[in-house]
Amino acid sequence: MMSAVLVVHGGAWSIPDEIAPASVDGVKAAARHGSSVLKSGGSALDAVEAAVRALEDNPTFNAGCGATLNIDGEVELDAIIVDGRTLASGAVSCVKNIANPVSLARAVMEKTSHVMLTGKGANQFAESIGFIAIPTDKLVTEYEKKQWEKHKKYLAGVMEEFNTKWTHDTVGAVAVDCAGNVACATSTGGIRNKMVGRVGDSPVIGCGGYADNSSGAVSCTGHGESILKVTLARLILSHVEQGKSVADASRLSLQYMGDRVQGAGGTIVVSPSGQWAATFTTERMAWAAAADGVLWFGINPEERLNEKLSQ
Amino acid sequence: MQRAFILNGSLWSSGCNVAKLAANFPSSHGDILRTAMLPVVVVHGGAGQIPKERSDLSTSGVCSAARSAYAVLQGGGSSMDAVVEAVMLLENNPSFNAGCGSVLNMKGEVEMDALVMDGKTLSSGAVSAVRNIANPIQLARLVMDQTSHACLTAEGASQFARSLGVPEAPQESLITEYSRMRWKKNLAPDANPVECQMGKMGTVGAVAVDTDGNVACATSTGGMLNKMEGRVGDTPCIGSGGYADNMSGAVSTTGHGEAIMKVTLARHILFHMEQGQSAEAASDLGLAHMKSRVGGLGGVVTVDPQGNWAARFSSRQMAWAAAQKDTLHYGLYTGEHFTQIIEDAH
Repeated sequence: MMSAVLVVHGGAWSIPDEIAPASVDGVKAAARHGSSVLKSGGSALDAVEAAVRALEDNPTFNAGCGATLNIDGEVELDAIIVDGRTLASGAVSCVKNIANPVSLARAVMEKTSHVMLTGKGANQFAESIGFIAIPTDKLVTEYEKKQWEKHKKYLAGVMEEFNTKWTHDTVGAVAVDCAGNVACATSTGGIRNKMVGRVGDSPVIGCGGYADNSSGAVSCTGHGESILKVTLARLILSHVEQGKSVADASRLSLQYMGDRVQGAGGTIVVSPSGQWAATFTTERMAWAAAADGVLWFGINPEERLNEKLSQ
Repeated sequence: MQRAFILNGSLWSSGCNVAKLAANFPSSHGDILRTAMLPVVVVHGGAGQIPKERSDLSTSGVCSAARSAYAVLQGGGSSMDAVVEAVMLLENNPSFNAGCGSVLNMKGEVEMDALVMDGKTLSSGAVSAVRNIANPIQLARLVMDQTSHACLTAEGASQFARSLGVPEAPQESLITEYSRMRWKKNLAPDANPVECQMGKMGTVGAVAVDTDGNVACATSTGGMLNKMEGRVGDTPCIGSGGYADNMSGAVSTTGHGEAIMKVTLARHILFHMEQGQSAEAASDLGLAHMKSRVGGLGGVVTVDPQGNWAARFSSRQMAWAAAQKDTLHYGLYTGEHFTQIIEDAH
């Protein structure tokens, strides 16, 4: 029987030492949580949603609670979820006051005939299906408020050249369940001090994530505008379709993104047969993978620590 | 600054496959071939089922847009200038579902999406669910040229427009009698949604290659008839509504938005072209994949950097027109391919 695999990431960027332990703990906890869903027979879709919800709820990460603020000091959230079996997909961009955008994205997929909702329309839909509106101050952390103050004096876009130094801690998960179905999910608050209404790669299908039972599932993080330019998730899977391993496909694609558009980032990939990879060209990426009873994790390049999954 | 990089074992520089160009276009013969095939622009006015009484409007609209865009190219304009010109004309033309003439959302309001992409740098600009502007494609280009972002949505997009002095277009100036009539019809409890989607002029778009060999794409739409408020379709999503890359070509798509997104149709077609398929074969493969995998129909206009082009569709019709070598090509129904000399071309 197919063994289920789940991989999560908590963002690819220069994670400062002060929050590195919390980031690693956060991805490990999310991976355990998602993996227990798979173990009890849950689908890949259920598992990625559960893992990403855990990361959204964790104020350490830039998604849901703890999201970065836009130039007006507000929280605007993006998320996507894709079901590799049917290619069904749900996405939201620039939603406000929602604790779990990934679940709203799933609702778009399952309760509407659309794939993506944005802004006010997305919020109206949330309300119509009973999503509780979370006051902004519950989503904004002291840390983010301070960062927003600090960066307010820069025009949005001035920092662009330092794109690897920007906070890119989008979160995401990919999984393959025991039926061989793959799924992905990605969620973010976007770039700090972004323009109002800025949409990055996360909710754009083929960029922030993609999943197809014929090749695998991908979730991306990093410099959003660069990921968009090369449709990174879809690019990785095209290499897999051409016969590359998930690790080679990831490496080649990230290399290409660096060479062609000078963008850095990170990706997690899982194949329908259970191959997985966590790869990044930024200084660090917090990631964790649950496979065959082992929890793998890391944050620094080449790092591959592990411990027993069941505790 | 020129950058060189390796992809698939070949050396690329400044967005051109150096080795491929040298191999396919050896010196003078290559120069002649290249001049004849370029520039080229291909325009579409939407894939769907257009009622006969409106089909003349579609055809004349895309032909006009193609001629104007071609004139831009012949005058030395870039492929980006040309595709934006074509799409702006179609947005201004009330017969198309873009800009003026856009279909209405559930609430009877206009929300528009648009995308531009530059094949040389892979830069793109997009707006989604934007209101009260006459030319979303122009705003999309401004996002690309004047911000460090690739996409702005809804109120943020409007704020940006205002900050640049883009004039506000009142809702009424964008809503036509025809679109209001179809919206009302689709609201009726006994409305036949399939029938109401018929007669919808689709999304508009264009692809082009200029004399420098740079490719670009542009796509613009009012979206789906009676869509939920805030619904975003394929159009502003890079890789779905369009994609452009000097290494492989440019695509602009139209059809069932959700299906196009699920298969990232534009990018999918270009993957085939990267692997050696022609523009036509790749387009057909992409459309067939979309139909078999997710049951969606649509159409595309596709061009490769050498100037080979295709206008293909799996829906019953797609209004399209192409201009190349002083000749206008156009069609509406499957199999149609009319030509006309472009008299005033220089």
